[in-house]
Amino acid sequence: MQVDPSYVTNLVSSLDQAQANQQQLTAELSSGVAITSLSQNPVASGQNVLLLNQIQQDDSFTQSTNLVTGQLQVADSTLGSVVSQLTQAISLATQANNGTENSSDVQSISSQLSGILDEVQSLANTSYQGQYIFSGGQTSTTPFTTSSAISPAATTYSGDSDINYLVTPNGQKIQLNVPGSQIFLGSGANSVFGALNALVADYSSGTVDTAQAVSDTSALSTALNYVSQQRVTIDNSISQVTAAGDAVTNAQTQLTSAQTSLMQADVGQVSTELSLSETQQTALEDVIAQMESSSNDLFSKLQ
Amino acid sequence: MGTINTAFSVIAQALDADQAALNVVANNVANANTQGYTTENPNFQENQPLEIGGVSFGDGVTETGATSVRDRVLNERLDQQQQVASSTGSRLTALNTVQALFTPDSGSSSATAGDISSDLTGFFNSFSSLEANPTDESLREEVLSSASTLAADVSNAAASLNSQRSALDQEASGVTSQVNSLTSAIAQLDQQIQSTSPDADAGTLEDQRQQDLSQLSQLIGVNQITTENNGLSVTTTSGQPLVSEGQSFQLTTGSVDGVTHFFVGGTDITGQLTSGGGELGGYLTARDHDIPSALSSLDQLTYNVSTQVNALNNAGTDLDGNTGAVVPPGTVASTLDIFSAPPGLAAGSATGSAVAMSVVMTNPNQIAAAGAGLGTGDSSNATAIAALANQSIVNGETPTNYYANFVSQLGATVSNVQTENTAANASVTQLQTQSNALSSVNLNDEASAMSTFERSYQAASQVFTILNTVMASALNLGEQSTVS
Repeated sequence: MQVDPSYVTNLVSSLDQAQANQQQLTAELSSGVAITSLSQNPVASGQNVLLLNQIQQDDSFTQSTNLVTGQLQVADSTLGSVVSQLTQAISLATQANNGTENSSDVQSISSQLSGILDEVQSLANTSYQGQYIFSGGQTSTTPFTTSSAISPAATTYSGDSDINYLVTPNGQKIQLNVPGSQIFLGSGANSVFGALNALVADYSSGTVDTAQAVSDTSALSTALNYVSQQRVTIDNSISQVTAAGDAVTNAQTQLTSAQTSLMQADVGQVSTELSLSETQQTALEDVIAQMESSSNDLFSKLQ
Repeated sequence: MGTINTAFSVIAQALDADQAALNVVANNVANANTQGYTTENPNFQENQPLEIGGVSFGDGVTETGATSVRDRVLNERLDQQQQVASSTGSRLTALNTVQALFTPDSGSSSATAGDISSDLTGFFNSFSSLEANPTDESLREEVLSSASTLAADVSNAAASLNSQRSALDQEASGVTSQVNSLTSAIAQLDQQIQSTSPDADAGTLEDQRQQDLSQLSQLIGVNQITTENNGLSVTTTSGQPLVSEGQSFQLTTGSVDGVTHFFVGGTDITGQLTSGGGELGGYLTARDHDIPSALSSLDQLTYNVSTQVNALNNAGTDLDGNTGAVVPPGTVASTLDIFSAPPGLAAGSATGSAVAMSVVMTNPNQIAAAGAGLGTGDSSNATAIAALANQSIVNGETPTNYYANFVSQLGATVSNVQTENTAANASVTQLQTQSNALSSVNLNDEASAMSTFERSYQAASQVFTILNTVMASALNLGEQSTVS
């Protein structure tokens, strides 16, 4: 059998392939991306979708944590102020109960307690970015109002007991708020407003019913402890958010590096391949030049 | 004297034969670059020897004509492989256009534009952000804008797939006229071959027929059957005759369900052509299988995401305190729909969902972040919608997993077709090399043959000169004379 006389055509198509290969490699080098179409690596393309999805979720969660951390810290410091106000109220009440104060002193304590009551109520009505933070889900409704029509005055709650959660990318639920009714209007002796209103009424006339006043003061202490307990929930949430944020940032770093090694071109490897391909091209061009030169034709030797 | 005359006749025939052989060589060299030309070899035949008185006398040689050097089996194999190669080639071109719509996202922010997977994640993330602050106007706007981006990218991708499909449809029907002109050319050549050369190779006529056949093989899948008197029948791979008994049967097109179908006579052979091979087979496979399958994946994704998100949003409470109407699918438009209801909602069919995807909600207050009956500061419904991202809502998979599988599958299909195409092309190249090695003109061979025949011609003419001298001596009876 003879040699295929149209070998040059085959060589030229090899040359085309080498050139296409070089184009692809050059594109990889200049863009830094190894996979520019799905068919280059279908499995990696699918993995890439999942990795990017997680990275984006983590990214979005990190942004959310910044937002909620602010809100949680406002709630925490508000409750801190409430605690100090209540501590002051207890010491005033204790002072009034010790039997050494005269009538006008007691009345003055009553009005001081009334001031504390107002202060606590305004703290309970704190808002963050225009939304009340202790009104459950009714964030546009002022949660606490006090009516002095009756004695002792009554503080009512207009919010609800709704609790919001932030869900982390791995499904953990972090509590974002404690409803105001749970903090300030706990049942029985746990009600801050109940105890405060009662004490204000106790001292308003200037004469002290010691047994009642002592009982109300101890109720206020109980309520203060209760507020501190609720504050722990908020503090826990803050540390959970911080921990989750850190974990997510770590995960994101890992995921990004996985995604990078999956999709990015290895410059060293690609450069070597490119150089190989260029050598191949030069060799092919030489072969073609030699094959094509007319001196190899038998006809030219028949002169 | 009789023997000298015989010798003259023998040598004159040798000269004629060499001349004819040189003509064959000249013809080969002249056609060395003619496409489809098959190299020809001269044939020499010994003339019947004369038998006189029990003694056999040679009677010279005749050149009986040239024979084309061809291998029909090899050519047929080449044609068949060519059908596979052009089928995978045209399918690959179509698939490459399809996969260009789903270019892998490199992860840099500039590359994310138009990427459906990051749109999906962005959309569900916007609900996650809403969990933290359900009443925030800017976060609500963000939900609507990410929904619009998702809807726009999905419907653009679906629209592009549809337009690629109709482009393929046009290319496919454009092939018909080429097929028809080739089949009628083959039929005509068949008639000529059968009448001029019923029992031998028909030379250039057969070259021409072979050329037309290989062109036809690039276009559609065919079978060739050699019939009596050197004739040829051509059928589609599944047996529908295209050329038979010197007659061609025209391929016609007609529109069925909005796409072009192909007929011979009254028979719809679209299905046969799809699996048959050739360029047309590739176009039809992409048109009827690959693109519809990609579209249906997008439809499934869109249908499930829109209906689930709409259902949840209608079940919650929006910023104005309204709750959507939870209605059976498709009966009336629900009031708090974010996405337009898929066209096949009433029938429970996902078909057409992707191309029709759009955002109908304009007021961000209507996003129901709060649970049913809860205060507007509640975010339980936003949490529920965000959680859809990790729920198996699309054919038993999460939206992102479904999309990841879809791109993997698409990539694997393209990669498979690429491999098939490379293999088929390599096989075509190999067969072409074999066929060229056998049938195409090798100028070096021709040069050596020319040299051989020239020498043979010179030798014969030398003998002729000698005979001439012998003849003159015989005529002059050994004396010097004017006859030499």
